[in-house]
Amino acid sequence: MEPNWAEENLQTIRTLMERSALYRHALAPIMLFAGVVGVLTATVGLILHWDSPRAFGALWLGAAIVAIAGAFFIVRRQALKDNEPFWSPPTRRVAKSLLPPLTAGMILGVVFTFFPTTGVVDFTLLLPFLWALFYGCALHAAGFFMPRGVKWFGWIYVGSACGALCLLMAIQPQIEISAHWLMGFFFGALHLAYGAYLYLTEKGKNAA
Amino acid sequence: MNPEPFLQLDRVIHEKGRLAIMSMLAASPELSFTELRDALVMTDGNLTTHIRALQQEGYVAVAKSYRNNRPLTTCSLTAPGRKAFAEYINLLEQIVRQTKSR
Repeated sequence: MEPNWAEENLQTIRTLMERSALYRHALAPIMLFAGVVGVLTATVGLILHWDSPRAFGALWLGAAIVAIAGAFFIVRRQALKDNEPFWSPPTRRVAKSLLPPLTAGMILGVVFTFFPTTGVVDFTLLLPFLWALFYGCALHAAGFFMPRGVKWFGWIYVGSACGALCLLMAIQPQIEISAHWLMGFFFGALHLAYGAYLYLTEKGKNAA
Repeated sequence: MNPEPFLQLDRVIHEKGRLAIMSMLAASPELSFTELRDALVMTDGNLTTHIRALQQEGYVAVAKSYRNNRPLTTCSLTAPGRKAFAEYINLLEQIVRQTKSR
Protein backbone atom coordinates (compact mmCIF):
# COMPACT_ATOMS: atom_id res chain seq x y z
CA MET A 1 0.00 0.00 0.00
CA GLU A 2 1.33 3.44 -0.93
CA PRO A 3 2.31 5.42 2.17
CA ASN A 4 0.50 8.56 0.97
CA TRP A 5 -2.80 6.90 -0.05
CA ALA A 6 -4.61 8.50 2.89
CA GLU A 7 -3.46 11.96 1.84
CA GLU A 8 -4.47 11.29 -1.77
CA ASN A 9 -7.87 10.08 -0.59
CA LEU A 10 -8.34 13.25 1.44
CA GLN A 11 -7.39 15.36 -1.57
CA THR A 12 -9.89 13.47 -3.75
CA ILE A 13 -12.62 13.91 -1.15
CA ARG A 14 -11.86 17.63 -0.92
CA THR A 15 -12.04 18.03 -4.70
CA LEU A 16 -15.32 16.11 -4.95
CA MET A 17 -16.86 18.14 -2.14
CA GLU A 18 -15.78 21.38 -3.76
CA ARG A 19 -17.26 20.32 -7.09
CA SER A 20 -20.66 19.76 -5.55
CA ALA A 21 -20.74 22.96 -3.52
CA LEU A 22 -23.42 25.58 -3.78
CA TYR A 23 -22.16 27.62 -6.76
CA ARG A 24 -23.03 24.60 -8.93
CA HIS A 25 -26.65 25.74 -8.65
CA ALA A 26 -25.74 29.40 -9.12
CA LEU A 27 -23.60 29.00 -12.25
CA ALA A 28 -26.38 29.30 -14.86
CA PRO A 29 -27.87 32.54 -13.45
CA ILE A 30 -24.35 34.01 -13.01
CA MET A 31 -23.48 33.26 -16.66
CA LEU A 32 -26.78 34.68 -17.90
CA PHE A 33 -26.35 37.81 -15.79
CA ALA A 34 -22.76 38.33 -16.99
CA GLY A 35 -23.93 37.81 -20.58
CA VAL A 36 -26.69 40.41 -20.25
CA VAL A 37 -24.21 42.90 -18.72
CA GLY A 38 -21.79 42.20 -21.59
CA VAL A 39 -24.38 42.67 -24.33
CA LEU A 40 -25.82 45.83 -22.74
CA THR A 41 -22.35 47.35 -22.24
CA ALA A 42 -21.36 46.59 -25.85
CA THR A 43 -24.61 48.16 -27.07
CA VAL A 44 -24.03 51.31 -24.99
CA GLY A 45 -20.42 51.55 -26.23
CA LEU A 46 -21.45 51.14 -29.86
CA ILE A 47 -24.38 53.57 -29.71
CA LEU A 48 -22.51 56.28 -27.81
CA HIS A 49 -19.27 55.71 -29.77
CA TRP A 50 -17.17 55.47 -26.61
CA ASP A 51 -14.12 54.41 -28.59
CA SER A 52 -11.36 56.46 -26.98
CA PRO A 53 -9.06 54.35 -24.78
CA ARG A 54 -10.27 56.06 -21.60
CA ALA A 55 -13.97 55.82 -22.39
CA PHE A 56 -13.61 52.21 -23.57
CA GLY A 57 -11.60 51.13 -20.52
CA ALA A 58 -13.79 52.96 -18.01
CA LEU A 59 -16.96 51.50 -19.54
CA TRP A 60 -15.74 47.90 -19.54
CA LEU A 61 -13.96 48.02 -16.20
CA GLY A 62 -17.21 49.38 -14.77
CA ALA A 63 -19.11 46.53 -16.45
CA ALA A 64 -16.65 44.01 -14.93
CA ILE A 65 -17.30 45.43 -11.46
CA VAL A 66 -21.08 45.21 -12.00
CA ALA A 67 -20.76 41.60 -13.26
CA ILE A 68 -18.55 40.52 -10.32
CA ALA A 69 -20.82 42.23 -7.78
CA GLY A 70 -23.86 40.58 -9.39
CA ALA A 71 -22.16 37.16 -9.29
CA PHE A 72 -21.45 37.59 -5.56
CA PHE A 73 -25.05 38.62 -4.98
CA ILE A 74 -26.38 35.56 -6.85
CA VAL A 75 -24.08 33.14 -4.94
CA ARG A 76 -25.05 34.76 -1.63
CA ARG A 77 -28.75 34.48 -2.46
CA GLN A 78 -28.25 30.80 -3.35
CA ALA A 79 -26.33 30.23 -0.10
CA LEU A 80 -29.17 31.76 1.93
CA LYS A 81 -31.72 29.68 0.01
CA ASP A 82 -29.77 26.43 0.60
CA ASN A 83 -29.01 27.38 4.21
CA GLU A 84 -25.28 27.04 3.52
CA PRO A 85 -22.36 29.31 4.46
CA PHE A 86 -21.49 31.85 1.76
CA TRP A 87 -17.76 32.27 2.40
CA SER A 88 -17.06 28.55 2.71
CA PRO A 89 -13.65 26.87 2.04
CA PRO A 90 -14.74 25.83 -1.50
CA THR A 91 -15.84 29.40 -2.30
CA ARG A 92 -12.52 30.70 -0.96
CA ARG A 93 -10.59 28.30 -3.20
CA VAL A 94 -12.55 29.35 -6.26
CA ALA A 95 -12.01 33.03 -5.43
CA LYS A 96 -8.29 32.43 -4.86
CA SER A 97 -7.84 30.67 -8.18
CA LEU A 98 -9.76 33.39 -10.06
CA LEU A 99 -7.83 36.22 -8.46
CA PRO A 100 -4.35 36.17 -10.13
CA PRO A 101 -5.48 36.15 -13.82
CA LEU A 102 -8.33 38.59 -13.16
CA THR A 103 -6.03 40.98 -11.29
CA ALA A 104 -3.46 40.80 -14.10
CA GLY A 105 -6.18 41.56 -16.67
CA MET A 106 -7.51 44.45 -14.63
CA ILE A 107 -4.05 45.99 -14.12
CA LEU A 108 -3.25 45.73 -17.84
CA GLY A 109 -6.65 47.25 -18.60
CA VAL A 110 -5.97 50.23 -16.33
CA VAL A 111 -2.48 50.73 -17.79
CA PHE A 112 -3.64 50.55 -21.43
CA THR A 113 -6.67 52.69 -20.71
CA PHE A 114 -5.32 55.49 -18.62
CA PHE A 115 -1.72 55.61 -19.89
CA PRO A 116 -2.18 54.87 -23.59
CA THR A 117 0.87 55.15 -25.80
CA THR A 118 0.70 56.50 -29.30
CA GLY A 119 2.16 54.10 -31.78
CA VAL A 120 1.40 51.50 -34.38
CA VAL A 121 -0.42 49.18 -31.97
CA ASP A 122 -4.03 50.00 -31.07
CA PHE A 123 -4.20 48.81 -27.48
CA THR A 124 -7.95 49.40 -27.30
CA LEU A 125 -8.39 46.77 -29.97
CA LEU A 126 -5.90 44.47 -28.26
CA LEU A 127 -7.59 44.64 -24.86
CA PRO A 128 -10.60 42.39 -25.68
CA PHE A 129 -8.22 39.57 -26.67
CA LEU A 130 -6.02 40.00 -23.61
CA TRP A 131 -9.02 40.15 -21.30
CA ALA A 132 -10.55 37.08 -22.94
CA LEU A 133 -7.23 35.21 -22.54
CA PHE A 134 -6.88 36.15 -18.87
CA TYR A 135 -10.53 35.37 -18.22
CA GLY A 136 -10.13 31.97 -19.91
CA CYS A 137 -7.12 31.22 -17.69
CA ALA A 138 -9.12 32.29 -14.62
CA LEU A 139 -12.02 29.99 -15.54
CA HIS A 140 -9.65 27.11 -16.21
CA ALA A 141 -7.99 27.57 -12.81
CA ALA A 142 -11.36 27.79 -11.03
CA GLY A 143 -12.58 24.76 -12.99
CA PHE A 144 -10.48 22.49 -10.77
CA PHE A 145 -12.95 23.20 -7.96
CA MET A 146 -16.10 23.51 -10.05
CA PRO A 147 -18.08 21.38 -12.49
CA ARG A 148 -15.86 20.09 -15.27
CA GLY A 149 -17.60 22.19 -17.93
CA VAL A 150 -16.07 25.37 -16.49
CA LYS A 151 -12.58 24.21 -17.48
CA TRP A 152 -13.79 23.62 -21.03
CA PHE A 153 -15.44 27.04 -21.02
CA GLY A 154 -12.06 28.48 -20.06
CA TRP A 155 -10.45 26.69 -23.01
CA ILE A 156 -13.15 28.12 -25.32
CA TYR A 157 -12.12 31.63 -24.23
CA VAL A 158 -8.42 30.94 -24.73
CA GLY A 159 -9.03 29.30 -28.11
CA SER A 160 -11.48 31.87 -29.42
CA ALA A 161 -9.28 34.79 -28.25
CA CYS A 162 -6.23 33.36 -30.04
CA GLY A 163 -8.25 32.42 -33.13
CA ALA A 164 -10.03 35.77 -33.35
CA LEU A 165 -6.74 37.66 -32.89
CA CYS A 166 -5.14 35.74 -35.78
CA LEU A 167 -8.21 36.37 -37.92
CA LEU A 168 -8.24 40.07 -37.07
CA MET A 169 -4.53 40.42 -37.90
CA ALA A 170 -5.28 38.88 -41.27
CA ILE A 171 -8.27 41.07 -42.13
CA GLN A 172 -7.55 44.24 -40.13
CA PRO A 173 -6.30 46.41 -43.00
CA GLN A 174 -9.47 45.67 -45.00
CA ILE A 175 -12.09 45.68 -42.25
CA GLU A 176 -12.35 48.12 -39.35
CA ILE A 177 -13.95 46.49 -36.33
CA SER A 178 -14.99 48.17 -33.09
CA ALA A 179 -13.53 46.74 -29.88
CA HIS A 180 -17.07 46.84 -28.43
CA TRP A 181 -18.15 44.17 -30.93
CA LEU A 182 -15.33 41.93 -29.75
CA MET A 183 -16.18 42.54 -26.10
CA GLY A 184 -19.85 41.92 -26.83
CA PHE A 185 -18.94 38.58 -28.40
CA PHE A 186 -16.48 37.44 -25.71
CA PHE A 187 -18.25 38.67 -22.60
CA GLY A 188 -21.83 38.90 -23.83
CA ALA A 189 -22.58 36.20 -26.37
CA LEU A 190 -20.29 33.49 -24.93
CA HIS A 191 -21.68 33.96 -21.40
CA LEU A 192 -25.25 33.91 -22.67
CA ALA A 193 -24.60 30.75 -24.71
CA TYR A 194 -22.99 28.92 -21.77
CA GLY A 195 -25.69 30.14 -19.36
CA ALA A 196 -28.43 28.92 -21.69
CA TYR A 197 -26.63 25.58 -22.12
CA LEU A 198 -26.31 25.17 -18.33
CA TYR A 199 -29.90 26.19 -17.75
CA LEU A 200 -31.25 23.70 -20.28
CA THR A 201 -28.99 20.80 -19.27
CA GLU A 202 -29.52 21.34 -15.50
CA LYS A 203 -33.25 21.31 -16.09
CA GLY A 204 -32.91 18.02 -17.94
CA LYS A 205 -30.64 16.52 -15.30
CA ASN A 206 -32.96 17.36 -12.43
CA ALA A 207 -35.84 15.63 -14.11
CA ALA A 208 -34.44 12.08 -13.98
CA MET B 1 3.16 2.71 13.25
CA ASN B 2 -0.09 2.42 15.20
CA PRO B 3 -2.45 0.18 13.17
CA GLU B 4 -5.52 1.25 15.15
CA PRO B 5 -6.83 3.95 12.72
CA PHE B 6 -6.51 1.54 9.78
CA LEU B 7 -8.61 -1.06 11.55
CA GLN B 8 -11.28 1.47 12.45
CA LEU B 9 -11.84 2.66 8.86
CA ASP B 10 -15.48 2.10 7.88
CA ARG B 11 -15.38 -0.59 5.17
CA VAL B 12 -18.69 0.52 3.66
CA ILE B 13 -17.38 4.05 3.06
CA HIS B 14 -13.81 2.98 2.22
CA GLU B 15 -14.74 1.57 -1.21
CA LYS B 16 -13.77 4.31 -3.71
CA GLY B 17 -17.14 4.55 -5.49
CA ARG B 18 -19.07 4.86 -2.24
CA LEU B 19 -16.49 7.28 -0.84
CA ALA B 20 -16.98 9.51 -3.89
CA ILE B 21 -20.78 9.43 -3.43
CA MET B 22 -20.46 10.27 0.28
CA SER B 23 -18.03 13.13 -0.53
CA MET B 24 -20.39 14.67 -3.06
CA LEU B 25 -23.39 14.37 -0.77
CA ALA B 26 -21.48 15.76 2.22
CA ALA B 27 -21.07 19.09 0.40
CA SER B 28 -24.60 19.48 -0.87
CA PRO B 29 -28.00 19.26 0.83
CA GLU B 30 -29.15 16.79 -1.84
CA LEU B 31 -28.19 15.67 -5.32
CA SER B 32 -30.23 14.01 -8.02
CA PHE B 33 -29.31 10.54 -9.23
CA THR B 34 -28.34 11.95 -12.62
CA GLU B 35 -26.13 14.65 -11.14
CA LEU B 36 -24.24 12.04 -9.13
CA ARG B 37 -23.96 9.71 -12.12
CA ASP B 38 -22.62 12.45 -14.41
CA ALA B 39 -20.25 13.98 -11.87
CA LEU B 40 -18.72 10.63 -10.90
CA VAL B 41 -18.83 9.11 -14.40
CA MET B 42 -20.59 5.95 -13.18
CA THR B 43 -23.07 3.70 -14.93
CA ASP B 44 -26.67 3.63 -13.72
CA GLY B 45 -26.21 0.06 -12.44
CA ASN B 46 -22.98 0.80 -10.62
CA LEU B 47 -24.38 3.90 -8.94
CA THR B 48 -27.60 2.07 -7.95
CA THR B 49 -25.59 -0.75 -6.34
CA HIS B 50 -23.43 1.67 -4.33
CA ILE B 51 -26.39 3.79 -3.25
CA ARG B 52 -28.28 0.67 -2.18
CA ALA B 53 -25.29 -0.43 -0.05
CA LEU B 54 -25.11 3.00 1.58
CA GLN B 55 -28.89 3.05 2.06
CA GLN B 56 -28.84 -0.38 3.76
CA GLU B 57 -26.17 0.94 6.15
CA GLY B 58 -28.44 3.93 6.90
CA TYR B 59 -25.94 6.46 5.54
CA VAL B 60 -27.94 7.72 2.55
CA ALA B 61 -31.63 8.57 2.16
CA VAL B 62 -33.27 8.25 -1.24
CA ALA B 63 -36.39 10.24 -2.09
CA LYS B 64 -38.53 9.81 -5.17
CA SER B 65 -40.73 12.61 -6.41
CA TYR B 66 -41.88 14.31 -9.61
CA ARG B 67 -40.71 17.53 -11.21
CA ASN B 68 -42.38 18.84 -14.35
CA ASN B 69 -44.24 15.53 -14.60
CA ARG B 70 -40.99 13.58 -14.73
CA PRO B 71 -39.69 11.25 -12.00
CA LEU B 72 -36.94 12.73 -9.86
CA THR B 73 -34.71 10.63 -7.59
CA THR B 74 -32.69 12.58 -5.03
CA CYS B 75 -30.11 11.35 -2.55
CA SER B 76 -28.94 12.96 0.65
CA LEU B 77 -26.78 12.03 3.63
CA THR B 78 -28.58 10.97 6.80
CA ALA B 79 -27.37 12.10 10.23
CA PRO B 80 -25.60 8.74 10.87
CA GLY B 81 -24.10 9.00 7.37
CA ARG B 82 -22.73 12.48 8.07
CA LYS B 83 -21.31 11.26 11.40
CA ALA B 84 -19.72 8.17 9.81
CA PHE B 85 -18.21 10.33 7.05
CA ALA B 86 -16.76 12.80 9.59
CA GLU B 87 -15.25 9.89 11.57
CA TYR B 88 -13.79 8.44 8.38
CA ILE B 89 -12.14 11.79 7.53
CA ASN B 90 -10.76 12.08 11.08
CA LEU B 91 -9.20 8.63 10.77
CA LEU B 92 -7.66 9.48 7.40
CA GLU B 93 -6.18 12.64 8.91
CA GLN B 94 -4.76 10.60 11.80
CA ILE B 95 -3.14 8.24 9.29
CA VAL B 96 -1.68 11.19 7.35
CA ARG B 97 -0.26 12.64 10.56
CA GLN B 98 1.23 9.25 11.51
CA THR B 99 2.77 8.86 8.04
CA LYS B 100 4.31 12.33 8.21
CA SER B 101 5.72 11.89 11.73
CA ARG B 102 7.53 8.64 10.81
